[in-house]
Amino acid sequence: MDKANREAFLNNIATHAKRPRHQLANHPFKPLNNLPESTLSGKTQDQLLAIARHSSEEVHVDFRTTAKENLAAAINDYLQHKNIQHLILPTTDLWQKFSLADWQNQRSTEHTAYWEPRADRQTNVQRAQNADGAIGFADFLLAESGTIAVATVPGQGRAFHFLPTHYLSIIPKSRIVPRSRQAMLYYEQKIKSGELTTSNINLITGPSNSGDIEMVLVVGVHGPLDMTYMVVEDL
Amino acid sequence: MKVAIFSTCIVDLMFPNIGQAMVEVLERFGCETSFPSKQICCGQPTYNSGYHKETQKVFHNEVDALMSSDADYIVGPAGSCVAMLREYKNLLKDDPQYADKAAAMADKTYEFSQFLYRILGVRDAGAQLDAVATYHRSCHMTRLLRERQAPYELLSNVKDLQVVPLPRAENCCGFGGTFSVKEPQISRQMVDEKVNDILSTKASVLISADPSCLMNIAGRFSRRNEKIKIMHIAEVLNHNVDPARIRFADQPVNV
Amino acid sequence: MATLSTSNEPFLTRIKESEADKFMQKSVAKAQDAQWEKRPASRKELGHWEDWRNLGEQIRQHVIKYLPDYLEEFSDNVEKRGGHVFFAQTDKDAVAYIKKIAQQKQAHKIVKSKSMVTTEINLDKELLKLPDTSVLETDLAEFILEEDNWDEPTHIVFPTLHKNRDQIRKIFQKLGYKGSNEPGEMAKFARHYLRRSFLEADLGITGCNFAIADQGMINLVTNEGNADLTMAIPDTQVVVMGMERIVPSLKEAEVMDNMLSRSAVGQKLTSYCTFAGPQTADESDGPKDFYVVILDNGRSKALGTDFEPALQCIRCGSCLNVCPVYRHIGGHGYGSIYPGPIGAVLSPILGGYEKFKDLPFACSLNAACTDTCPVKIPLHKLLIKHREVMMDKMKIDHSFNNVLMKGAGVATATPIVFNIALKGGYLGSAPLAKKSKTSVDNFFHYGHIEWAPSLAKGWTDVRSLPRPAKGSENFRSWYKKHQAAKQAQAKEEHDNG
Repeated sequence: MDKANREAFLNNIATHAKRPRHQLANHPFKPLNNLPESTLSGKTQDQLLAIARHSSEEVHVDFRTTAKENLAAAINDYLQHKNIQHLILPTTDLWQKFSLADWQNQRSTEHTAYWEPRADRQTNVQRAQNADGAIGFADFLLAESGTIAVATVPGQGRAFHFLPTHYLSIIPKSRIVPRSRQAMLYYEQKIKSGELTTSNINLITGPSNSGDIEMVLVVGVHGPLDMTYMVVEDL
Repeated sequence: MKVAIFSTCIVDLMFPNIGQAMVEVLERFGCETSFPSKQICCGQPTYNSGYHKETQKVFHNEVDALMSSDADYIVGPAGSCVAMLREYKNLLKDDPQYADKAAAMADKTYEFSQFLYRILGVRDAGAQLDAVATYHRSCHMTRLLRERQAPYELLSNVKDLQVVPLPRAENCCGFGGTFSVKEPQISRQMVDEKVNDILSTKASVLISADPSCLMNIAGRFSRRNEKIKIMHIAEVLNHNVDPARIRFADQPVNV
Repeated sequence: MATLSTSNEPFLTRIKESEADKFMQKSVAKAQDAQWEKRPASRKELGHWEDWRNLGEQIRQHVIKYLPDYLEEFSDNVEKRGGHVFFAQTDKDAVAYIKKIAQQKQAHKIVKSKSMVTTEINLDKELLKLPDTSVLETDLAEFILEEDNWDEPTHIVFPTLHKNRDQIRKIFQKLGYKGSNEPGEMAKFARHYLRRSFLEADLGITGCNFAIADQGMINLVTNEGNADLTMAIPDTQVVVMGMERIVPSLKEAEVMDNMLSRSAVGQKLTSYCTFAGPQTADESDGPKDFYVVILDNGRSKALGTDFEPALQCIRCGSCLNVCPVYRHIGGHGYGSIYPGPIGAVLSPILGGYEKFKDLPFACSLNAACTDTCPVKIPLHKLLIKHREVMMDKMKIDHSFNNVLMKGAGVATATPIVFNIALKGGYLGSAPLAKKSKTSVDNFFHYGHIEWAPSLAKGWTDVRSLPRPAKGSENFRSWYKKHQAAKQAQAKEEHDNG
């Protein structure tokens, strides 16, 4: 970057505003209320689940819950129902955590590809493009808006969430939080502590849509045509 | 209770019937009225057109005039003009001579229906009107004065009056002060939609708490040769009053 | 053509064209009516909307107040992530820089996601001047505009509000579409058509809803998913942002995204709210090279003036959706890519009064905009401020109307002069007044006027004007008699009592 260019630009702002630069350190932002935290606070996990179901269905999400031991069967049911032939999956140790290692080995889909941490751009993007279905893991489900929150990691890239035709997101029930605020606080803290390195955080609320033609809602434009959330009872 | 009448220039010039109705209602409720005769106008016509220097004198005259009486309250028959008097508090806040006086004035100034409802606590003014009507809520009354309740409540208790909701009540009628004369091509389309919406209610009477909106809408009705009866809310609340029907907020219904 | 400006026609011509475009008027009205249901409902559901607005306003005012500091922090953090920041004083600076990147990267297939600021600097057409270069808008609405010979947008959130399904079908037929005029089917066609371009693209260009100062990331809020593909697939990404679109951290971005979604479209959150920077070493997609262009282009002229609150704007478009003037004249009526109330405030600041002097007057001061704005910009008051600048300070109006308005100032400030008007209004209007019946009952008590000269002509062009009351019957005269009668009655009661 051209530092001289930056200095001239910022000095010009300060001159017009008639306010000296470098005052922020003594005047950090202090929000005048705590609505982002207090809204929907104090709910039990069951209440949050009910809210999440309602908000998700409002945005055309197929909302399902399953016990952990039935998860594999529920996924197979989904794949069959959507008639998915080309599947893309993330590379992650969460498969073990959800006891899906066996399912991974015995799955019935004809073609299965992985988003691979060491593969190049072209390879992973093309795999996602070829897939008519994706099964991804979300970090959180935001009850208020029916939103999944997911940070990009080497095993589950950006295009993973956007190129496949159908999308299934697996979320542990314990990871349903009230709102976007809780997810943001988590990401801030993990990035700060160095536990999370990511270039991209997605908040995804239902399938892609558009009202650009006569304000008629069309579901499924550039991203997935439909979204299914699978909440796993892990408590 | 002493009430100074803020007549507004438009009622002063054009609509004595509205001012009369307001005074009669206020006196019926025991207000001792006075009319500060040096008052003219709230200053919106010139201020809103951008002539701010010229308008300072208008503000000063109006403050001096309305504060010349020792009234407890100042009450006017127009939501828009009353909202402007309230705004004096901001507009004159850096005026060393007038800041305090303007603030004191703003604090005791009320629109007519608002004053009845909120200060006098009137719920039923005792009026009767056998008609189907619709109510035009003016933009300044609802958004600047933030009065969204008083006129509706008072009208809902007028005997024999059926108030039909006006569709798209949130849309401006197209008056906008000098906007109506500077941009007649836009203003016409706005007032036409308002006239059409009023016609769609099949109401025979149009009521409002803002004479200037009424002047615009009625003017367009007249030009289009469409039938309507116009009544300011003060005229409605002053119509066929039976004092036995009068009820206040702290009294139960059906006393 | 200047790029902020979308028309060289005079204002009056544009209004007439808008009135003739009945489809546009109907679709704007339909959109507004629908949003009058959805938007307030979504805000009510959130609860404490006025407190949320206070918070939104506070966040935006705070960053504007410390703008140089936040921009400095943001650019440092973009660099820490391996990205690059360029500060562009003007549209020309920005365009030249982005062209240079496209050439350096030998980019020939450019995909873009919707960005008002790139329209402001005319970026698409400038990039098309590069040899062997294609530029494709991938937002459905912007794609339609591009394929319709670069038609101008008419709404900042719904750019094709003025087009109907049959017009869109015709546009798509030129691209080989053979289907019906059904929106879903046409959207599928666009999906397939654009998907190929995404996969081949070597440069992605996006706007920026909010820059996150402490993370060096940008935040984009969309519904279709095209912005995310633009940020995922090409090797290089260029972000163009107005210098005021910044927030301290992810927390404030999250607050603004919630308020933006509810205000713009009545949704709790849009389908995609994304926070992104350059790819990290272990990731395989996302931009390897990440450039942010921060644009002034006249914005600093608002700083330190009464117009500074205009920079709080988050481009939700809700002021357009409530504006009764926009309802009738539509986006093209404003002649600026920023239409509606915020456009009428912003366009004269960015583009000057000479070009946009009509816009501040094209407003009935109904304050619906101020009332709905999620960050509490006093829009209608800023329009009055523009009028003040033009009338009091620049004195641009030398017409007879100007003399009349100044006369009105004298008349409404001087009791003696006003008294003459009170007494003379009825007689003075005699030559114009008609006694004929009108269709309106209980209003034209002293007659009505159907034609009047000069300033009042604008009134009588559209409406009947009530004739002023007779001096002896006006309100003051009545009140005087009324008081006298009351006093007489009181005296009588006193004497009798």
